Amino acid sequence: MLNNSVKRYILLIASILFFISMHGKAFSYDLEKKVISHTLENGLKILMVERHLSPTVSFYIRHRVGAVDEADGRTGSAHLLEHMLFKGTKTIGTKNFRKEEAILRNIAKIGESLDRERMKERGADKTRIDSLTKELEALQNAHKKYFVDNEIDRLYTEHGANDINATTSQDLTSYHVSLPSNKIELWARIEADRMTSPVFREFYSERSVVMEERRQRIESNPEGQLYEQFLASAYIAHPYRRPILGWPSDILFLDPGYMEAFFKSSHAPNNTVIAIVGDIEPAATLNIIKQYFGSIPRRALNPSPITKEPTQRGERRISITSDANPSMIIGYHKPAMPEYDDYVFDVLEYIVSKGRTSRLYKTLVEKKGVAKSILTANGIPGSRYQNLFVIFAKPRHPHKSADIELSIYEEIEKMKTNAVSTRELEKAKNQLKADFIKNLDSNLELANTISYFEILIGDYRYITNHLKIIEKVTPEDIVRVAKKYLVSENRTVANLVKKN
Amino acid sequence: MQKMLCRSFLLSVLFYLLLFCCSTNAEGDSSIPLINPDELSYRQIQFVLPQAKRIVLDNGIILYIFEDHELPLVNISAVIRTGSNYDPAGKEGLAELMGTLLRTGGTQSISADAIDESLDFFAGSLSVSMSRDSGSLSLSVLKDNVDEGLHIFSQIMTNPAFEESKIAVAKKLKIEELRRIADDPQKLAFRELKRLLYGDNPAGRLPSSTSVHNVHRDDLTRFYTQFFYPKNIMIAVSGDISSEQAIMKIKKYFGSWNKSIQHFTQPPIPAKQKGHIYFLSKDIPQSVIITAQLAPGKKNHDTYAFELLDFILGSGGFKSRIFQQIRNNLGLAYSTGSFYTKLSGYGVFGAYAMTKSETTANVLSHIRTLIRDVQTSVIDKKELESAIKSIHNNFIFSFHSAEQIALQQLVMEYDDLPGDYLAQYRDRIAKVRTEDLMRVANTYLSLDDAVILVVGNETAYNQLVFSFKNVSRIEGSL
Repeated sequence: MLNNSVKRYILLIASILFFISMHGKAFSYDLEKKVISHTLENGLKILMVERHLSPTVSFYIRHRVGAVDEADGRTGSAHLLEHMLFKGTKTIGTKNFRKEEAILRNIAKIGESLDRERMKERGADKTRIDSLTKELEALQNAHKKYFVDNEIDRLYTEHGANDINATTSQDLTSYHVSLPSNKIELWARIEADRMTSPVFREFYSERSVVMEERRQRIESNPEGQLYEQFLASAYIAHPYRRPILGWPSDILFLDPGYMEAFFKSSHAPNNTVIAIVGDIEPAATLNIIKQYFGSIPRRALNPSPITKEPTQRGERRISITSDANPSMIIGYHKPAMPEYDDYVFDVLEYIVSKGRTSRLYKTLVEKKGVAKSILTANGIPGSRYQNLFVIFAKPRHPHKSADIELSIYEEIEKMKTNAVSTRELEKAKNQLKADFIKNLDSNLELANTISYFEILIGDYRYITNHLKIIEKVTPEDIVRVAKKYLVSENRTVANLVKKN
Repeated sequence: MQKMLCRSFLLSVLFYLLLFCCSTNAEGDSSIPLINPDELSYRQIQFVLPQAKRIVLDNGIILYIFEDHELPLVNISAVIRTGSNYDPAGKEGLAELMGTLLRTGGTQSISADAIDESLDFFAGSLSVSMSRDSGSLSLSVLKDNVDEGLHIFSQIMTNPAFEESKIAVAKKLKIEELRRIADDPQKLAFRELKRLLYGDNPAGRLPSSTSVHNVHRDDLTRFYTQFFYPKNIMIAVSGDISSEQAIMKIKKYFGSWNKSIQHFTQPPIPAKQKGHIYFLSKDIPQSVIITAQLAPGKKNHDTYAFELLDFILGSGGFKSRIFQQIRNNLGLAYSTGSFYTKLSGYGVFGAYAMTKSETTANVLSHIRTLIRDVQTSVIDKKELESAIKSIHNNFIFSFHSAEQIALQQLVMEYDDLPGDYLAQYRDRIAKVRTEDLMRVANTYLSLDDAVILVVGNETAYNQLVFSFKNVSRIEGSL
């Protein structure tokens, strides 16, 4: 239930796109031949890859819904929903669902009354809060008699599961697991059920768990605070400005009613991609999927309108003060895939920061010795909408953030004036090819990759269709893109300043 | 090809629909119960323990090989008996720096910069890591670059140069890393815990900016000479390479390496420390709580029972007791659970939680109660059976890549475990009884021996002194 997988996706995207641009053409063709694609009548898309090194299989389910789709004031809903989907279903985790249902209705009713009262803050009636709190506790205790905790996890774990987890990103919600290959039906039984009949048990205590998650990832983590404030500044209107975990005051009042509506409007088969990779017999696997998922009705999707980010008109600088050593994030707005310039940024990213001989690492960490670390990422914080090219850097004492900032800009200016050499381009491509192939070594990663492109672009073969476009990326493209986007007016700089 | 596959699918789907149309309808109707997932039946899985090939070179290097030709990749790892436990007093961090310098410091025949350029260009990844009681080097290359990769890999291991300029960079980066540890409450807590748990033992001596500063080139060469010789090294080769080729290449690059055995004594096993609650102040709204103590080591027969005990207590997923109680029932933490690390001669058990300052004492009490429970009440047979089943069924994931298979067997030999260890593992787990759990709980988890560290703010401290006796403030070692 981590939510920090965004960056990994970005690396994946980059690796795949790049790999295509290189000599491994035959290899990409092979992959396309190995993927079996099928769409059920209800719109559910299934991708399968058969491989038999080990008697195991990995599954990815992705819904095209993420933090970006939440209403204002409801931030954190997508993420809390992902937690709630581990709480069981009408038939998994219940001792008597009829009785449970009645109590759960009351819990939601009292919980919502309590939240409404607490929302009044200073004007709240303290006596009413106390009595509602007691009433809620009594109902929660009464509920305990009728359900068994964590049955989804228990079933998976007992059957030998690896990597049971889920992620919520700005763009997507994903559930994944690996199992021994004779347990495909167990996966289908659980997942089809939680896609249709989840039960939001222990809603209010899970909301507290998410508050602890925030304390761990953000409030007690200076890097987390910096990143959150950076995004809130780089975007002033588009929902990418909001944290995936949610703003604390929103999390405190997330309610089961909104969550249920959010669930229904997003976890529909026609908004879902499944990828299965491993020791499978595809026809038999498809039959199981058909049996369990085939009758889930297609649903109308009513996505909320998304505010477009207005063009940035000048540099934005923010800082946070924290009991931690200095750190900085620099971001530039840019188009997302499938725009051509996004591919150019993928190339640029490898040239500037991948490997010990990449430009920023070599210059700032080794030669000048001003930085402790420097990383870049193309496609922050998501890829459904226009996104950012981001540089994360930490100065090495006694050097200051200002020193590394200056050095970074010097390197960026060099990209605008001198075209990169063909050897440098080839090096980046070789690295991406190798990364891509290494990534195929794992069933889980391959399932991750193909399901990601399918849900995001609408066709996993997008990667092979873009082969020719990628091949066109030239040193001149890099100069042009650097000149167009890597300019001060389009820049947001966030600094972590050490508290005295 | 694609079209043909689709068509055969359509046919099978049609067939399926005809066969199952009634039950398919039933699946969609929530009024008719779905099959209980516990009652699903599964075909037996055919799993034969994969065997890597083992060869001993004339110079004493032990080689494990496992072929896998699906992807054009070759992975080569070397494991060396060394580690930070051998850091001399006052030069803590030496082993780690030597590892870094093997990777970044060049060789007698190729400069450091030339190595970086070469590896980056053919996209080979080469990393070195150093743990307390071993060191390892890993090379991952595309099949076509095996020779270029192995040339660098072997030169690094047999003829490192430790270039002065690279030593300077590595030391400065390590000192900066140390400076930044306290920025991260979890890193800080786990570092300080080592000092408290191991006391004067080498495992409890940690790098500081002073000790790193004290490491010089001659320390690195001396440390290297002490541990890097053929009889102290095992190599695993896996991937798209035949066994014959692998043997031929390892002989080509390492066969002429002859260096005599050096003698070194293994560091002592840490002694049990007296249990205590330590508090380290940091202005954060969420406390990091860790309780830790020594547990059975790798060759101890109690490991099977202890592994299950740890699984039941806090490492066995959402159902494990600590997670279920602290996260699920109480909503007091996002990250909570337990861990059990097996080392040579001893092990470490720990339980942890991160909770808001206001609930620090409460969460620590719950963890201690849950540990006391497994000492005083017999664990339910069903809970044990579920844990055994989980570990049994998950076992095949220890062999899901070629690299893992080769390394797995190498590590068994490194640890001097019996040849049938892996083959017997599941049976030994299955033989554990509830009374064994209670016995190991009482042997190893006495609350009097628990070394507890809380990193948190003054609210957390006030809570602890109110609820527990003998809470001592400590200063950080950084």
